[in-house]
Amino acid sequence: MTGTYTRRGFLGLSAAAVAASVAACTGGGTAPAPAGGGGSSAPASNNLRVFTYEDNSTIGMFKKQIAKFDAQAGTTTTVDSLPGSGAAVYPDKLRTELLGGKGPDVWRIWGGQIGAPFVKAKQAMDLAPYYQKFGWDSKINTTAIDGMTFDGVKGGAPFIALGIGCWYNKAAFKKAGISGEPKSYAEMEEANDKLVSAGITPAGLGGKYGWDIMRLFEYLLETSAGPELHDKLLTGQETWDRPEVVTAFTNFKKWQDKKWLPDGALGLDPSDVEPWYVQGKTAYTITGPWTEAQAIQAAKKDSADFGVFQLPTDQTPQRHSGFVEGYMINAKTGNPEKSAELIDFILKPETQKALKISASTVAGAEPDPKELPLSYQWSQGPAKQPFYTIQDQAFPKKVADQYFAIQSDLLQGKITPEAAAKQMQSAVSAWAKS
Amino acid sequence: MNAWLFALPALAVYVVFLVYPAITSLWFSFTDWDGLSPTYNVVGLQNYLAMPKDPVVIQAVINNIIWTIVTIFFPVVIGLALAMLLNGKVRGKPVLRLIFYTPCVLPLVAIASIWGWLYNPQYGAINEFLRAIGLGSLAQPWLGQDSTALAAVMVPAVWLRVGFPMLLYLAALQGINTDMYEAATVDGATKSQQFWHITMPSLRPAHYIVIALSLIDSFKVFDLIYAMTYGGPGTATQVMGTWMYFNVFQYYQAGYGTAIAVVITVVAIAVSIPYVRSQTKEHAV
Repeated sequence: MTGTYTRRGFLGLSAAAVAASVAACTGGGTAPAPAGGGGSSAPASNNLRVFTYEDNSTIGMFKKQIAKFDAQAGTTTTVDSLPGSGAAVYPDKLRTELLGGKGPDVWRIWGGQIGAPFVKAKQAMDLAPYYQKFGWDSKINTTAIDGMTFDGVKGGAPFIALGIGCWYNKAAFKKAGISGEPKSYAEMEEANDKLVSAGITPAGLGGKYGWDIMRLFEYLLETSAGPELHDKLLTGQETWDRPEVVTAFTNFKKWQDKKWLPDGALGLDPSDVEPWYVQGKTAYTITGPWTEAQAIQAAKKDSADFGVFQLPTDQTPQRHSGFVEGYMINAKTGNPEKSAELIDFILKPETQKALKISASTVAGAEPDPKELPLSYQWSQGPAKQPFYTIQDQAFPKKVADQYFAIQSDLLQGKITPEAAAKQMQSAVSAWAKS
Repeated sequence: MNAWLFALPALAVYVVFLVYPAITSLWFSFTDWDGLSPTYNVVGLQNYLAMPKDPVVIQAVINNIIWTIVTIFFPVVIGLALAMLLNGKVRGKPVLRLIFYTPCVLPLVAIASIWGWLYNPQYGAINEFLRAIGLGSLAQPWLGQDSTALAAVMVPAVWLRVGFPMLLYLAALQGINTDMYEAATVDGATKSQQFWHITMPSLRPAHYIVIALSLIDSFKVFDLIYAMTYGGPGTATQVMGTWMYFNVFQYYQAGYGTAIAVVITVVAIAVSIPYVRSQTKEHAV
């Protein structure tokens, strides 16, 4: 019997394939609509669901604020979180939920090319009416709003604009005889040499997933290419097959060859390797202000034993890598008004402070200098400088992965910096043309 | 008619949860659906024709073939050897059986994490051990370089899959009539001759099941690679399963990704035919 079914199965598959092929000349179609019309909330209900990626250090504070909102707005909000997954996994889960018909009413997401597909596919609502209703345009940092505006559609309300800097262990710098924070790229290299001589691996970065070690390369590119050219490279307006890019790739390889990166950095998980600077296994990492709460304070260390500075680029203006995160509303939610009210509540300075947001987009919500002294220091200095779009938000995921593969091949010595520059041009130009 | 009525509930579940999604996936493989938008265009065989031109697909197929050979050969050979050992007079047989079978029931993600730590180039136990015995020069970034990454992921795959053939072979060995061995001993057959002329032929049905199921399992590989290397470094450890996932879920190329899924399914069905036929014959007897 089983054999008969298998043969029939084959016949069925073949018939379906032939039928589909015949039908496949031209035309279009509609993807299956989720049962129940999409969003998780029934129109008459006051139930909301928020999907986020808060971790153990922040989820409690977040839920507390949501409970406060519920008490004010008469809603019942459920919070689902997928912590620690990063931009490599979280959007997949969100996408699956949306297609499964049980999508959240409100979700947190990164800006740029990570958030863009949800707006382009019209899964996320155009928030322009709510920008007007709640005056978000005047409350939120304009650059941050740009990071969540896609083809003119305000698809998200950014609440955080994070800058990437050098977070270091003061004891490691002292042991290596480094007297002050590097002020130029040459001093950065000099510091690395001193650290290696002192038996300390300088930069704790991991190449699994690609995005962590990318932060080093984009810094080197900003240093060699400068702000104007760097921005044009990211949008495909200038060719990558040029000396400035070759210099950046050459320096990138140099960082590995001179052991300024951990052994086998390409295979290391960023969530393992980044906190090494707190443990003293490396001297520093290149990351954002969340590290103060999530790595330094979570390890019960004193912030005073650590420092942060903007990586020196020798360029004017001095920029750093940055990105935004915000909230989107499900286009099929039954509760758009309450969802927008919830976002407006989150965007209030007092809520932002209660959530200990280290780099809020909202004026008046700077981090508390007593609780997060280093984040406060960053917010008062480098955060006021312009930033360039972090590269995994500047490129669609597929291009970013091609770029990570090129980085990987270069660091393994499989290609030269010149070849890497050519391959990058090929990947970026194909995307830019499409 | 009554037989169909009895079969109807199971058939309905089968159609709704397997046949319908399979046919739907097949349909999407002929479209350019991004996996998120409400609309798509039909593109005919374009997704299938693009596959041979995709260098990652070529690499993934090669990796799948290597994976299949290694993760069938070693577990089957080691599993058989362990089964032979446990079938003899060994102390603590139940405990040993449990030890050898335990990896099979561990969650793959947990195994990936454990082996990921073992392979850590700086603090992992493997490199630490090599350094401790004076073989520090052999310490490698196992998961961080193309030359060792795939092999490094295959080691835990072999480790966790040894228990399954061992258990099946052990059951089969216990079913062999011991009179045959006694008669062979009386006739002066050596242990080796007994193995090749009594044991191996008697295990033929077990070989069939073990190899067929392992083959299907090997072609579907996803979890270990995803969790240990994420298909990297670069694309060095991509297999068809992970590349399908990347296209459907990460690159918003659901049409192309489902075309890869269809190819995986067709191959898995093709390799399962001998197994299904053997089972059908067995039940017919």
